[in-house]
Amino acid sequence: MQNALLIGLSRQMTLERQMDVIANNVANANTNGFKADHSLFEEFLNSNAREDNFIASDRRVSYVQDRGTFRDTGPGPMEMTKNPLDMAITGDAYFAVQANGGERYTRDGKFSLNSTGQLVTSDGNLVLGTGGPITFQPTDHDINVAPDGTITVLEGTAKTDSIRGKIRMVSFDDPARLTKLGANLYAAGSATQQAATKSTVQQGYVEKSNVNSVGEMSRMVEVMRSYTAIANLLQQQSDMHKSAIEKLADVPA
Amino acid sequence: MQALHTAATGMAAQELNVQVISNNIANLRTTGFKKQTASFQDLIYEHVRRVGAQASDQGTILPVGVDIGGGVKTVGTPRSMTQGTLSQTGNDLDLALSGEGFFKILMPDGSYQYTRDGTFQMDNQGRVVTAQGNPVQPTMTIPNNASGLAVSEQGQVSVTLPGSSTSTIVGQLGVTRFINKAGLQPVGNNQFTETPSSGAPQDGTANSEGYGKITQGSLEQANVDVVSEMSDLIAAQRAYEMNAKVISAADQMMQSTTALFR
Repeated sequence: MQNALLIGLSRQMTLERQMDVIANNVANANTNGFKADHSLFEEFLNSNAREDNFIASDRRVSYVQDRGTFRDTGPGPMEMTKNPLDMAITGDAYFAVQANGGERYTRDGKFSLNSTGQLVTSDGNLVLGTGGPITFQPTDHDINVAPDGTITVLEGTAKTDSIRGKIRMVSFDDPARLTKLGANLYAAGSATQQAATKSTVQQGYVEKSNVNSVGEMSRMVEVMRSYTAIANLLQQQSDMHKSAIEKLADVPA
Repeated sequence: MQALHTAATGMAAQELNVQVISNNIANLRTTGFKKQTASFQDLIYEHVRRVGAQASDQGTILPVGVDIGGGVKTVGTPRSMTQGTLSQTGNDLDLALSGEGFFKILMPDGSYQYTRDGTFQMDNQGRVVTAQGNPVQPTMTIPNNASGLAVSEQGQVSVTLPGSSTSTIVGQLGVTRFINKAGLQPVGNNQFTETPSSGAPQDGTANSEGYGKITQGSLEQANVDVVSEMSDLIAAQRAYEMNAKVISAADQMMQSTTALFR
């Protein structure tokens, strides 16, 4: 009979974690380039549930555990900002940036320049082009980013375009293997990268978070109700125990 | 429960978002104002089960991990330096810049500040000054008997003196650029100061080498688009509400546990 308590607890723990995942999605509803996470559950059979005193001794107890969080890699809505250094990727590729600890990837294209004219992320990490960091000259103006990522400018009084670099877009055979590091960055981990061929850069746009708020709210209600339902179940279990003990211990006078 | 803290970071972020939006809307009619947008990032993740880790004795590898995020943080409120629309005022000393650059202003303490607000006046000595009375650089004095003040697209200031049929050049306005103008520090009064992030100021001539063109008799309006600010405001408010709902749901879940076995 104690098993029901444990199974209920295992479910409650996974629900609590699912709630944490939902909370993180909702908190990041306005984070540029954020990709929502969803929880996956699996049955977990306990092989040590054998209790010789019970009749059904060979039945295994089935618990639940969270197997993983999978990322919804779908695109977020594009917001027009008109800023020449804001870029959004159409397609499944990522921008490559040089962060503390090596090369990292992001979908957050809210870029700016640093004091030396290099293209950087909001955190100041260098955005990588096909030939390393992209640097602008002090006299550059009319920055134009082509769909393939080539950045051209007019320099000083020149009437013809000068090329400042080409945004490096990277795609992954299995983007689920990318690890979220926070700060809108991903680490490649065991995922293998390849040059993105089908993705394009949109200048003057920023990709918003792909969190579907209606979905998150309904999932949240679902999680909350299941959690309370299990709490009720545990309460009933406990009441059963209580009344059993009371009845058995009731010695007639 | 982590969800409580996570949602709290979300509420704090949206509160700041509303603050930034309300400042943009408040400055809808501020000459030369450049709008800001709050920029957010996700916080670090707790990797409960790490993706790519060994899942079983048979050597299978976890295809997905369990990553629990800690919420959201504000990374900055970058300024959008796009061009504002010009509106005609007809005043000779109202100057608008279209394109790159700022007007350079000499402060009483000898330092320089930079502005896109070209609402200039003449002081009692005939100097061209800002609304606060600080001289525009390079300093120029307009003779008090002069008429027909004209400012060219390059910033050349000329007047017609009495008894003369041709105009005389009395000064040349400068325009200053920064490689990272979004890195300038706002100091109020529509003015900015140089920071280590903005790069060093580069003085130049208007309407050349990408420096902006000066338009006399016009002012640059704020680049705030009220429709997009309103929709951002609604989005921020809804996001705030949703985070509040998460807190109350997490609270109810905890309540149902603490109510157990009474």
